Amino acid sequence: MTELLPSEPDAEERDALQPAATPGPRSRRDRIRQGEAWRSVFRHPNLDTPRGRALQSFSNVFLHVYPVKVPARVLRMRYSFRLGFIATVLFSILVSTGVYLMFFYTPSVTSAYGDMQKLRTGVGFGQLMRNVHRWSAHLMVLVVVLHLIRVFYAGAYKRPRQFNWVLGMGLFAITLGFSFTGYLLPWDQLSYWAVTVGTNLVNYVPFIGTLLRDLLIGGEQIGQITLLRFYALHVAVLPVALCVLLMVHIWRVRKDGFAVHRGGVGAFAATDAPANATSSPEPVMALTKDHTRSRLLGVVDREVETAEERPVDDTVFTWPHMLVRHVVVALGTAAVVIALGVAFAAPLRGVANPDSTPEPAKAPWYFVGLQEMLSHFDPLVAGILLPAGVLLVLTFLPYIDRNPATEARNRKVAIVAFSIILIIAVVATVVGLAFRGPGWKFITPWNHSYIEM
Amino acid sequence: MVINRRYFLRRAWKACTAFLGGAAVWTSWEMLKARDVAAGGKITLGNPVDYKDGTATYVREGRLWVVNAGGHLRALSQKCPHLGCRVPFCDSSGRFECPCHGSVFNIGGEYIQGPTPRGMDGYALSVEGDALVVDTGSVITGPENSVQNFDSTAKGPSCAAGG
Ligand code: HEM
Ligand code: FES
Repeated sequence: MTELLPSEPDAEERDALQPAATPGPRSRRDRIRQGEAWRSVFRHPNLDTPRGRALQSFSNVFLHVYPVKVPARVLRMRYSFRLGFIATVLFSILVSTGVYLMFFYTPSVTSAYGDMQKLRTGVGFGQLMRNVHRWSAHLMVLVVVLHLIRVFYAGAYKRPRQFNWVLGMGLFAITLGFSFTGYLLPWDQLSYWAVTVGTNLVNYVPFIGTLLRDLLIGGEQIGQITLLRFYALHVAVLPVALCVLLMVHIWRVRKDGFAVHRGGVGAFAATDAPANATSSPEPVMALTKDHTRSRLLGVVDREVETAEERPVDDTVFTWPHMLVRHVVVALGTAAVVIALGVAFAAPLRGVANPDSTPEPAKAPWYFVGLQEMLSHFDPLVAGILLPAGVLLVLTFLPYIDRNPATEARNRKVAIVAFSIILIIAVVATVVGLAFRGPGWKFITPWNHSYIEM
Repeated sequence: MVINRRYFLRRAWKACTAFLGGAAVWTSWEMLKARDVAAGGKITLGNPVDYKDGTATYVREGRLWVVNAGGHLRALSQKCPHLGCRVPFCDSSGRFECPCHGSVFNIGGEYIQGPTPRGMDGYALSVEGDALVVDTGSVITGPENSVQNFDSTAKGPSCAAGG
């Protein structure tokens, strides 16, 4: 039940809660854990009761990111597939491997490529770190996209989470920015031409295209200025931007409650709106859920609650139930990228050469669908209007799709439209990635593959 | 109108913020604006009679091609007008074939097929004495895709592999 959520105890009260030292000789471990030093670090009582667990969450800054209790359904894999969490883990891996790479990398056209070679031959685990950085980067783009797709199909972008979806789109854009700027850094043929093709797309923006392109790469051609610019974006500007947005994003996930259907509590979309309470079939329940959450935070709710209205408590403690799962998923993610890094080396072609375009010159895989569209349609349409239109509509989707329903059968139009765009994007990406050879001719990947990662 | 303290402060902090914002934009512009303003220059290319009909000669210094299209000499930028890949000349077909998205141009740089919005850009050519001189500072925007002054038929097989 939910009655066990106290407000923060003061120090004296906390000491009183501490279990009495077990009689008999104390082990060294016990002595340490009951000593002043230990307890100045871990201030909560070491108490394995519901009250003790709640206090642990309250008094720990890291656990404070989580609510004290979460609905049991949040623990199920099917709720979110842990995609947002995996993306966050991948970002942490990218920060640590990225900082490692910074110790060996100089953003200069004369040395960048050589640094990549030295990393392979002269630095212990250098190649592995580069591989892990690269595969994590690809995975992060993939996982962020899957996360977005999951949130869409769950309808979790609806009231009150509209703005968090917008923030999510910002995170998605920054992730692509990371990948694109990082792609140039090795300064090989793959980077040089993928970024040439990618940045020239901007030329097709009406009126200000050339100006924008020049701002992006600092001149007519990809060169030293571009490399330095991309490097500064990659290791300083984008990390700060991502951290700030991510902080707000996660804070809001926690404050909005998890977007999960709960037994007998009604659609999650209706929890915020008292206006709905009079019209929806389960008004009391919806409010009660909100009430429960407010009490978890130790805030007195304005609504009056009577015993009969209180729903069955379906929440469990975050620690250990959710945290254990998160630790397992984080370790699993790390294992996957390390395994990929051991098994597959990050590519390094010849040094960037403006006088020879490799065949075929493909953009990074997440832009290759765009490149495929470009081979069929007018560049203004395929390169600018279409992607910009889709991005704009997606970003402001919660304000366009005002239908409050979250069940699939009540939001057919949105689901069909989104699915069509998704299928086009996937088909264009797969065709561009695997079925295109020199001169962008159609090829069959099982005969000769030109997949570039 | 009376300007009291509250009124003044409310306006003043907004004005200061706007000023700071303007300063930030200006500074960012100075930080990001293009720097390597391509210093176009003249390149002397030797005797015009050395460029035989139906050939394309690469001039590395200017990153350009000098072609002889049925007796007409042209200097064509190597940069594909589509998305900027380097366009190589295919000797067997006698055409320019872009490796990136399959744009094809005839020897005069005119559109044949592919997603390019126009023909290849060129540079002004002149004869000084008995030497050919190209001015990479004066870019001639490529012809529209409908323009067909030169022969577009393929002499032989295309260079793009696969298929
Ligand atoms: C603070 C975080 C990060 C730092 C300090 C960092 C640093 C670096 C450095 C120094 C390089 C050049 C070495 C190399 O090319 O292997 C690099 C490459 C790269 N980075 Fe990052 N990075 C960070 C985060 C990210 C993120 C979040 C992504 C993608 C979502 C990403 C994607 C890439 C890619 C695709 C490359 C090219 C990899 C390669 O070819 O080996 N990076 N990064
Ligand atoms: S860059 Fe030449 S066809 Fe696209």
